[in-house]
Amino acid sequence: MTKLINKITAVLMLAFISVFMLYSVFDSKKNRSSEENRELSKRPGLSASSLLDGSYAEDLVSYNADHFPLRSRWLRLNSKLREEIGDGIINGVYVADDMLLDADTSRRASSGSSAAEINRFARDHSGAVYVVAVPTSSGVYGERLPEYLDDYRESRQISDFYDRLNKDIKRIDAYNILKMLNDNYIYYRSDTKWTSYGAYCVYRTVIQKLGFLPTTFDKYSIRHVTSDFRGNLYNRSQCSSVKPDIMDFYYYNDGEEVLSCTGIYNSGKIVAKRIYDDKQLDSDYVYSAYLGESVPLLKIKTSVNNERKLLVIKDSYADCFIPFLTQHYSEIDVLTPELLDGPASKFVDFDSYEQTLFLFGIENLSDSSIFASLNH
Amino acid sequence: MIYSSLLFIYGFLPLSLLLYYVVPKKAQQPVLLAESAVFCGLIGLRYLMFTAAYTVINYGAARLIRRYRGKNEMASAVFAIGVSFDIISIFVFRTALFVPLRSAFGFPEAFFPIGISFMALSAIGTLIDVYGGKAEADMGFVHFALYFLFFPRIIMGPVLRYRSFVKMLDSRKPELAEIGVGLTIFVKGLAKKVIAADTLFVLWVAVRSRDVQDMSLLTAWLGISAYMLCLYFTLSGISDMGIGVGYCFGMKMPQSFNYPLFSTKIRYFAARWHIQTVQWMRRYVTKPLYAHCAGRIMRRLIFIGVWAVFGFWYTFSLNGLLWGILIGAAITIESRISRGRIIDTTGVIYTALVVMISGAFLAGEDAVYSLRYLLAMIGRGSIADRFAFYLVKTYIVVLLISMYASTDLFRNMMIRSGRNRIRTAFAVISPLVVLLLFVVCTAMMMYSGSSGIMLMKL
Repeated sequence: MTKLINKITAVLMLAFISVFMLYSVFDSKKNRSSEENRELSKRPGLSASSLLDGSYAEDLVSYNADHFPLRSRWLRLNSKLREEIGDGIINGVYVADDMLLDADTSRRASSGSSAAEINRFARDHSGAVYVVAVPTSSGVYGERLPEYLDDYRESRQISDFYDRLNKDIKRIDAYNILKMLNDNYIYYRSDTKWTSYGAYCVYRTVIQKLGFLPTTFDKYSIRHVTSDFRGNLYNRSQCSSVKPDIMDFYYYNDGEEVLSCTGIYNSGKIVAKRIYDDKQLDSDYVYSAYLGESVPLLKIKTSVNNERKLLVIKDSYADCFIPFLTQHYSEIDVLTPELLDGPASKFVDFDSYEQTLFLFGIENLSDSSIFASLNH
Repeated sequence: MIYSSLLFIYGFLPLSLLLYYVVPKKAQQPVLLAESAVFCGLIGLRYLMFTAAYTVINYGAARLIRRYRGKNEMASAVFAIGVSFDIISIFVFRTALFVPLRSAFGFPEAFFPIGISFMALSAIGTLIDVYGGKAEADMGFVHFALYFLFFPRIIMGPVLRYRSFVKMLDSRKPELAEIGVGLTIFVKGLAKKVIAADTLFVLWVAVRSRDVQDMSLLTAWLGISAYMLCLYFTLSGISDMGIGVGYCFGMKMPQSFNYPLFSTKIRYFAARWHIQTVQWMRRYVTKPLYAHCAGRIMRRLIFIGVWAVFGFWYTFSLNGLLWGILIGAAITIESRISRGRIIDTTGVIYTALVVMISGAFLAGEDAVYSLRYLLAMIGRGSIADRFAFYLVKTYIVVLLISMYASTDLFRNMMIRSGRNRIRTAFAVISPLVVLLLFVVCTAMMMYSGSSGIMLMKL
């Protein structure tokens, strides 16, 4: 009897293992996972050093996992299981009641060296410099995180960063504005970033500092472009118990128009872009509907007739923020330093702008190397 | 590569089993050796070179000792050199003191030969046995090399005598039912590691991230329980996986742990924790020393001293030494006080208390931290705080289930139930339970492809 059952176990297990082994050998290999929104690892190349220290096998382990048959289903099962046992943190993402929050404290490093780079930039160039450090959803909704993870508060990280900036740099306190409004839909449930509405709330203060009157909310007609957006926290956790997000486009129909919008790649290639790019809604990375696929430099010309020029140096947090600015400047240049491969001076003359706005999520400020291209 | 990785489970294991069963019986042992070499090579070619050199050196020493034993001084000289080499090598690779020496031999600073602690014990034991004429087994190179490199044994033991290993190797009777037993043990170990140990590790990390100076009593106890359970599940999980794989090749190696944490006496804890290693210590250290010392007090001191060595073997730091002394002293005191039977529940509680309190030394990085942690455990700070309640609320189910799983209650129930219906029912559904656990573990390893937290480098 026992022997028979052991035989059944053996056959069952060996069959299961061999099916998945053969499946993974003959399965077609994808390069990208749209579910996780990332490039999957490539088959590691053989080299003497990688064989010697075993990193070849480590790469092979992650290659094997990345291309495991039915990987996305396995990951969804994983996230369901981990919600049930333990503290509900899946791959560094905390599953709060109705939203996902980043619980990976290793990202919350100091942003002091980024402040130093911005100081250098402000010293070397003539225009006025404005800085907005945007908190992540874990900063604004920190009280929903397990208490021991909320020890290093983002508010403190942002004020440390602001304290390190030179006196003549103007800082805008986005944190308190957003914190006050946190009953509203100002952050995505499945992403660390703010929604268009969150960006609008901060825009009202920013634009006053820049010297304009904000466009009131009632002037906008809002289009819900998708109610099926899954952001970076979903990509990491594959947790589908939280509702997908709504993405909005804000149109000011009687306002100024965008006349041209051109993207410039590192190679010098120029492409026509749009402020809101509907085509991206069907792509893997839905968020790129704001400003379209990312380019190192984006030049926007509007029908505003005031000859004012603004340079925005930014990360992805600014993508839904830029459209609000188009009502005020005749020219806006948007630089994404992360995507530049050479010195930025090749593309833009920093001294030709009277105002420069730095707009970054605090999570991206701990790595100062993104600014290296500015002060080259 | 470790056993708890998808590449091992869905790649290396099935392929090596297939090859092993396809070749004629005569070629099976060389095939096993070749597969073990590939396994080591995947951990790193440098690791393979190291283990191969280590095996060859010990093989040479063992052969020389056997040839000259009882004839001239040569045997004693080689024996002394061989044992010193093994002892030195474990110190060189397990402590940071010898980094310059390591780099002189071309090993990078980060290089750590996994399983060196078990390998060194096996090597020393074998040399002693050969020198004393107790290893009259076949000393063929394939046998000897497999003794060191057999891949289901290389990471987490068990430490076996050369003679018993060879006996196992030669009496292999691989059959389908054994593979079933093996895969059941393997999945049990995998679940211990991936489900229990990794979850408890997060709890322990959360506690460790707090300042120990104002830790509440409840937090400290939750933390140390999580640590000890995590340690048990990690060590026994990895060792179960190895033993399970061994069964698939027809090698019936004994289990290393026999539900030690909730024993009724500390003596039983000691007898069920890393069984073969404790036996090794008794056979090769305690007994020879006893032979020279007849005094009762002296013998007690030796007993505690050997436990200190055993503790030191875990961490190679003062803390492990202190852990060993505490356990050794506790056993000595226990044998003085209670000779008779104690009531089960009381016994379980006091054993668990002693294990947890001494565990503070295994858990801490240095003695100061451990002492502070102990102070927190006796309640220097508050009794409980919000953090502690959060941990209780989040982890209570995991803690209770893993505590149950670390006792022998279920096994005893199965044994006592004899041939009745419950047992039959469990037997019938067991293949499905095994498969289900296996699916769960696969899903939980999917993100990174493996579960590699070792807690201790042995």
